[in-house]
Amino acid sequence: MKHMVEMENVHKSFGSIEVLKGINLVVDEGEKVVIIGPSGSGKSTVLRCINRLENIQAGTLRFEGMEVNNKTDLCALRTNIGMVFQRFNLFPHKTTLENVIEAPMQVKNMDRQQAVKTAMQLLEKVGLVDKCDAYPHKLSGGQQQRVAIARALAMNPKIMLFDEPTSALDPELVGEVLAVMKSLATDGMSMMVVTHELGFAREVADRIVFIDQGVIVETGSPQKFFEDPQQERTKAFLSRMRY
Amino acid sequence: MNLDYSVIYSKLPILLHGAFVTLQISLLALLIGMVLGLAGAMCRISSNRVLNFIGFLYVWIIRGTPLMVQLFILYFGLPQLGIKMSSMSAGVLGLAINTGAYVSEILRAGIQAVDTGQMEAAQSLGMSYRKAMTRIIAPQAIKISIPPLVNQFIMTLKNSSIASLVTITELLRTGEQIIYTTFRSFEVYTTLAVIYLIINSVFMVIANQLERRMAQK
Repeated sequence: MKHMVEMENVHKSFGSIEVLKGINLVVDEGEKVVIIGPSGSGKSTVLRCINRLENIQAGTLRFEGMEVNNKTDLCALRTNIGMVFQRFNLFPHKTTLENVIEAPMQVKNMDRQQAVKTAMQLLEKVGLVDKCDAYPHKLSGGQQQRVAIARALAMNPKIMLFDEPTSALDPELVGEVLAVMKSLATDGMSMMVVTHELGFAREVADRIVFIDQGVIVETGSPQKFFEDPQQERTKAFLSRMRY
Repeated sequence: MNLDYSVIYSKLPILLHGAFVTLQISLLALLIGMVLGLAGAMCRISSNRVLNFIGFLYVWIIRGTPLMVQLFILYFGLPQLGIKMSSMSAGVLGLAINTGAYVSEILRAGIQAVDTGQMEAAQSLGMSYRKAMTRIIAPQAIKISIPPLVNQFIMTLKNSSIASLVTITELLRTGEQIIYTTFRSFEVYTTLAVIYLIINSVFMVIANQLERRMAQK
C-alpha cells in the first residue's frame, strides 16, 4: 500500500505556543483516518500543515513519498490535496457552478466546456444540480458545504482533508453532508477527517487518531478505540462526549 | 435686497467652461489617484518590508499635511529646485497624489475586510497568490470599497477648487473672476454651489446604480 501522507516528528508553533509537539502519522492510499480531540488540541492544525496552509517548524512531511519543504511547488502540491473547511469558504461572488469550475479552469487550464461537464457530474453526486446558478448566500449551510466538497473534488485530488466540515451546521443539516462524505469514502477516496461526529467516525474510519495538547495520545481501529481505549485521557474524552 | 441673476446668464458660457476644467482636473486626478492608490495598497499589504514602509510613508505624509500646502510645494516650491511645471500639471498631480493616499487606505481596508478563509480556499485549490488575489479577493474587496471610494471621488471633485490657488482657472476661479468685474458675490457663489452640486449628484446617481447592480450578485 502506497503512503499518501507521512508526518515525522512534526512540530508547529504559533508564536510562543507550541500547538503540535511531534506528530507522527502515516496515511495510506485509500485509507480513511478520522482525527478527534478536544478543541485547541491541534487537530485542525495537523490538516493545515499537510497542504502547507501552515508552515512547520521542525520534522518531516512527505506527500506520496516526496518531502514537502520550502522548495516544494505549493500550488502543484495543493492541486492533489482537496480541502473542505468548517466555514465552507465558497466564493460569494460566484455561482455554485462558477465556484466548482474556477480552479480547474484557472489552475489546470481546462477549457470551459470540459470544466462544466465535470462540474455538473460532481454537483449531481452531491445532489445540487438544480442549484448550479444560485449564489452561495442563497444556499443553506449544508448545501454550501456540499458545493465546497464538489469544488474540492473538481481538482481530482488524491486525498481529501475535511476540517470539521459539519461543526458550523444546524443539526438537521449535518446528515446530508455526512452522507456525501460516506459515499466518497465508499468510492475509495483517501480521507483525513477532523470531526466531532463520533458516529461517522465509527462507521467510516479505518483508523481513529486521538490528539490532545499537540500529541497523538492514542490511535487504533474504531472498534478498539471506542470499546477498549487504552489511555486515561482517551477514556476521559470519550466519557465527556457521552458516547 | 437687490439680487440680479441676469449677470449669471450672460456669463454662463464662461462658467460652464470653468466647470469643464473642474471636471477635467478631477477626473484626471481620480484616474491617476486610483493607480497610485492601487500601488499604495499593494505596498501596504505586501510582506516586503521596504514596500510596506514606502506605502506607510506615502499615506502618513499625504494624510498628515493639508492639500493646499502640497499644491504650493509642487507649484511654488519645486521651481526653486529647478523643477517647473504648468499650473495644470501641478494641480492634477497634487490632487492625484492626495487622492491616491486615501484610495490606498480604502483599498487596503477593503482587501483586509475579505475573510481570510477566501485566500485559504483559493490557495488550497492550487491557485497562486497572485491568481487568488485577482480572481477571488479583488472582486470582493472592490465591492466593499465602492461606498468609501464614491465618498473619496466626491471629496476630490470638491478639493479641485483648491487648485484655483495655483492659478488654474477652474470653476471657483472662473467665478471669482466674474465677481471682480460684476461685484455680484452672492449670485456667483450660489451658482457655483449649484453647479458643484449638480456634478456631484450625477456622480452619486451613477455610483448608486453601480452599487445596486453589484449588490444583486
